[in-house]
Amino acid sequence: MKIAIVGKGGSGKTTLAATLSRLFAWRGFSVLAIDSDPNPNLGVALGVSEQALAALRPLPHSILEQRTNASGSTEVVGLAEPIETIASEYGVTTADGVKLLMNVQLEHAGKG
Amino acid sequence: MRGILGQLVEQESQLTVVDMEASIEHMSRGTPRYTDVLLIVTEPYYRSLETAGRIAALAQELGIPQMYVVANKVRGARDEEALRQYCTERGLALVAVLPFDEAVLEADESRVPILDADPESAYVRLVKQLLEKLPVEVVKQAH
Repeated sequence: MKIAIVGKGGSGKTTLAATLSRLFAWRGFSVLAIDSDPNPNLGVALGVSEQALAALRPLPHSILEQRTNASGSTEVVGLAEPIETIASEYGVTTADGVKLLMNVQLEHAGKG
Repeated sequence: MRGILGQLVEQESQLTVVDMEASIEHMSRGTPRYTDVLLIVTEPYYRSLETAGRIAALAQELGIPQMYVVANKVRGARDEEALRQYCTERGLALVAVLPFDEAVLEADESRVPILDADPESAYVRLVKQLLEKLPVEVVKQAH
């Protein structure tokens, strides 16, 4: 189940995203929280310390497995590594077990 | 975004929560195409509601299976009435009305999550109710 939360800046979407993520984790879900806001605040809202957040790295394009199709254009065919590996390499896991990833850089990758 | 979200295959009892960028241009790029549920957070003011309405229209075009409006920072009966009316007129499903809660502001200022700062707050209570309404089956079974 993929839940996306949108809204104008200041509407409180990040607080809602963080609260829902933690509540789901408390109920036994394995939760992946993706911060896709160019002004990333989800980590703080999840209760991760600034120090721990320093380990968070934007996802590079190389996490996507790409190939060139018959018509010569590049298409994404999957993740280059299991999501668990990606999460531990680029993400931060919160005290509640929520895996946090920062996805700002990838925003332009899937374009076109 | 399309990248990772489109390629992500979830196991049972896995959930992905995406805090999306604020502006709606990204919507038209198809970012949320791979989401199952879209939650549109709005404040009970005209401009915020108008943005929510535009997002909802785009989401519909993109064929997102389920979308709900979550009203936030609602200060009273008049606010609630206005946003209920707006949602009814546009055919939008209002799934939660979260209050304007001083506890949330204070938690924000001290950079402590509201769940830790004030787990008994009205805000947290209502987010828990919202969670029950989301179409996540395992959650419902757990209760």
